[in-house]
Amino acid sequence: MEPAEFDATLGGKEHLPYSVNSLKFATARSVEIAAMTESILYPSKTKLIFQCLPVHMRRRVMSHNAKRLPRKLREGHLEQLKKSGLPPKQKRPTRRYRRRPENMLLEYNRRKQRNVWLETHIWHAKRFHMIERWGHRIAYAPCDKAFRACYRATSAHCLIQDISYYTPVSITGPENYIKEMFSSISSCCCGLSICAKAYIDGKREGFIHLYNKNSYPLGYIGKASFIWVNSKMEKSLWLFIHPSQIKQVESLLSDLLDTISPSECFEIPAKKKKIINKLAENIQIKVLPGAYNRFRLIGPKSHAVLTKSLKCIETIDQINHNKWISTIDKRSLYLKEKHCYWQNINNVMSPSQLPPRILVSLIVRDPRLSRPSKRTKAVNTSSVENVQHLIDLPPFLSISPIWDNKIHQILKNERLSNTEFIKHVTKTRLIPGELNINDPALQSIPVVLIQRPGSQNSNKKKIGYGCGWDIIVPSGYGLIFWHTFIMFGARSGGLRETENLAFEMGECYLPPDSKSGIEEEKLKSTELRERYFRLPPSKRINYRKLAVITPFTCPWNILLKDWSNKTSNEFFILRDRKLLSVIQDCMQEKKQLPEIDSSDICLVPIYLKMVKKGNIKQNAIICLPHEKDFLTLPNEPYCEDPNEKIRKEKRKAHLCELKSVKRRNKKSKVKNGTKVLSIKNKNSEPSEYMKQMRELWLPTNIETCRNSCSREVMGFLCQAAFSFSESCGCGVGYLAYNALDTLLKKNINQVLVRNVSSRYYRLANINVIKDQ
Amino acid sequence: MMADVSNPRKREDTKKNKRPNKNYTVKKRLPLRPIEGDNVIFITKKTNFKAQLEKCCDLLTKGEKEIILHGLGAAIQRCCNLALQIETLFSGTCQTEVNTGTVDLVDDLEPLTDDLDFGSQVRHSSSVHIRIFRTAMLGSNQ
Repeated sequence: MEPAEFDATLGGKEHLPYSVNSLKFATARSVEIAAMTESILYPSKTKLIFQCLPVHMRRRVMSHNAKRLPRKLREGHLEQLKKSGLPPKQKRPTRRYRRRPENMLLEYNRRKQRNVWLETHIWHAKRFHMIERWGHRIAYAPCDKAFRACYRATSAHCLIQDISYYTPVSITGPENYIKEMFSSISSCCCGLSICAKAYIDGKREGFIHLYNKNSYPLGYIGKASFIWVNSKMEKSLWLFIHPSQIKQVESLLSDLLDTISPSECFEIPAKKKKIINKLAENIQIKVLPGAYNRFRLIGPKSHAVLTKSLKCIETIDQINHNKWISTIDKRSLYLKEKHCYWQNINNVMSPSQLPPRILVSLIVRDPRLSRPSKRTKAVNTSSVENVQHLIDLPPFLSISPIWDNKIHQILKNERLSNTEFIKHVTKTRLIPGELNINDPALQSIPVVLIQRPGSQNSNKKKIGYGCGWDIIVPSGYGLIFWHTFIMFGARSGGLRETENLAFEMGECYLPPDSKSGIEEEKLKSTELRERYFRLPPSKRINYRKLAVITPFTCPWNILLKDWSNKTSNEFFILRDRKLLSVIQDCMQEKKQLPEIDSSDICLVPIYLKMVKKGNIKQNAIICLPHEKDFLTLPNEPYCEDPNEKIRKEKRKAHLCELKSVKRRNKKSKVKNGTKVLSIKNKNSEPSEYMKQMRELWLPTNIETCRNSCSREVMGFLCQAAFSFSESCGCGVGYLAYNALDTLLKKNINQVLVRNVSSRYYRLANINVIKDQ
Repeated sequence: MMADVSNPRKREDTKKNKRPNKNYTVKKRLPLRPIEGDNVIFITKKTNFKAQLEKCCDLLTKGEKEIILHGLGAAIQRCCNLALQIETLFSGTCQTEVNTGTVDLVDDLEPLTDDLDFGSQVRHSSSVHIRIFRTAMLGSNQ
């Protein structure tokens, strides 16, 4: 029996209906439902979240400390705080919390999104000043200020740099098509072409100057190194391109392959159209950033470092269990022969004793197995007896499985990370910590070594300066190899060392007729300029008084315009080998230069060396000497600065104005009782007054620079400093072709140089840079 | 003064013209060297003679029992000169032992045209190896 509850059962008049009409039921309550849904959808609360909490959940200073709120409400609470203008004061998590591996990794992944990190990034970030350059985070210079030590490493020991930021581009296709493709973007005058017999068999690495399509000598892009890889099926070309040029090269190559738009089709003869179509069909281009690690070892001891750390596999039985071996043809490994060759050249004193630019591909053991327990310097103990080993270049030497895309992923997956390695060595071995050289847990790794000959001409630089090896390592193994090289005594360097080595070798580092060079120059000049204007006026060098108009930049366009009387926006640097050697001969014999086309927009690269003492610096001015200057070196006469008076007056007026503004502010403050916010923002643009003053210090609109000082300006030095390898002031710079012509017509082959901060001219010898 | 500067260069030029073929440039490699060490000095023509002499004297006076000088090609004369100078400076307290030899030098031939491959050639150059050793140590009369 149901308990009696309702009216009728208790004797009332109301009867319960036997069924419920849902529609009727709902309509009776429609008003309530509408009110409820509206209040859910559009809550008209004026209260904040923490105020809406039931009483038993409320805590003291809840609005102030978000941690006292229930976790699910915290986010909304913080949002509300932000809206109301109060910055949410959140305590920085403790260091202990932040340093937990998973939190650290999260933070690293967040930071990686902005710039590409190299595999050795964290190692470098602990020891180097890092800078953002070309979309990468690159080590600039070591924190221990080891400038001279790094030079010594390049000349006598071993310097190692991570240059994995060079982007590999693989071009696969028939040889004649690739040749066709590169004929329009490079010139045969600059050196050997891409399909030269010396390189096509893949034994050596080559260099090529890239230009925009059919625009030689203008439109220079940059220098790229290339390797031909011959596998059984097809030939492929691997370019390694500097990250500042990769975007240009990428668009250039894809433009070459693109089939032309239909409107243009009519004008192009059918034969050419066919070629273009064939190009697109037959050639594949792949840009593979981060596919390889590339380390550069410079210095005579780099060979000893490599021989100590890389131990070749001798027989196939040792590595048969490796997973990546099963995907490739085992006969193409040539393990025994390569081991034999590596043994033969083991005792070479310096890489420059080996054939220039050869590729040596090896299959090596995991380098962790050969690592010393303490940092030791790798040295050679005996010397090579047989010269024949140094001349021979066996054909199997360059064949490597590393270029095969398939094995990359396998190598990466099968890799034992450092923690796993340590665990493996300490936990599973019979004697903990004992290393077994033929450990099956560690896979073998294919690597490719590329020799760099360094200086090959004793008249220019001591033979072998700057020689070394480049090593290409599959991705994932970068840090493992890096650690081993460091443990064998290699000193690490950064981007500064790259610049410095180029200067010591007398090479053009990012030449100013390329886009990358212009950007580099702009970066440096703005930095110098900012630094200059941060100094107080009394400490600023007045460049007008020294008759220097552009102390921070090299105005190539204006220089060329002055020497040719023709305006042109473009210029180029001479890279024609034959012409450069003719110019060098002319300079030695003081003959007249040959006539060339477009000499009006041509710069000649030169290496400058001081005759006597004197230290030259960046942006130094190269001037045309007079006849009598050889007896007594000239000084720049004192020069008046016309703007000095104007500056003084302007400053006075500005100070007065500031004073009156200050007074006005004070008055209004007294009246209103409110503080007037001062408009001082450090990061914002300089004020109008500042801009005007800067213009008066250093006028930016320059029309001519040739006759800016008492001697005619011929050119500028891009890089200049005291050279350790020459033990005197040296520099790399460019001269206007017409200026050089004028110099030689005067029967002189020396020039005057002047620092931008100095009044003294000094005499210097010049040589043409032939191998750029 | 200016003639002085250009003269040695001209001589180099005539040397350069001896290259085997017009299609190649000759690039030099570093010669094979004997084992390096603290007491081994390679004599060059570029380094200041006085500085090299001082370095040798320093090594000998600081207790090195023997020093070895290596000279190659044009530096042979200088090497001998240096050894003789040391002998006179250390009058009677050191002796020299001279060996001569031949060193194989490798030159690389870099092609200038597309249809040629790299080549190499072997030259020979004479060398001198001088061992200077103390016969009596000054100030150490046991």
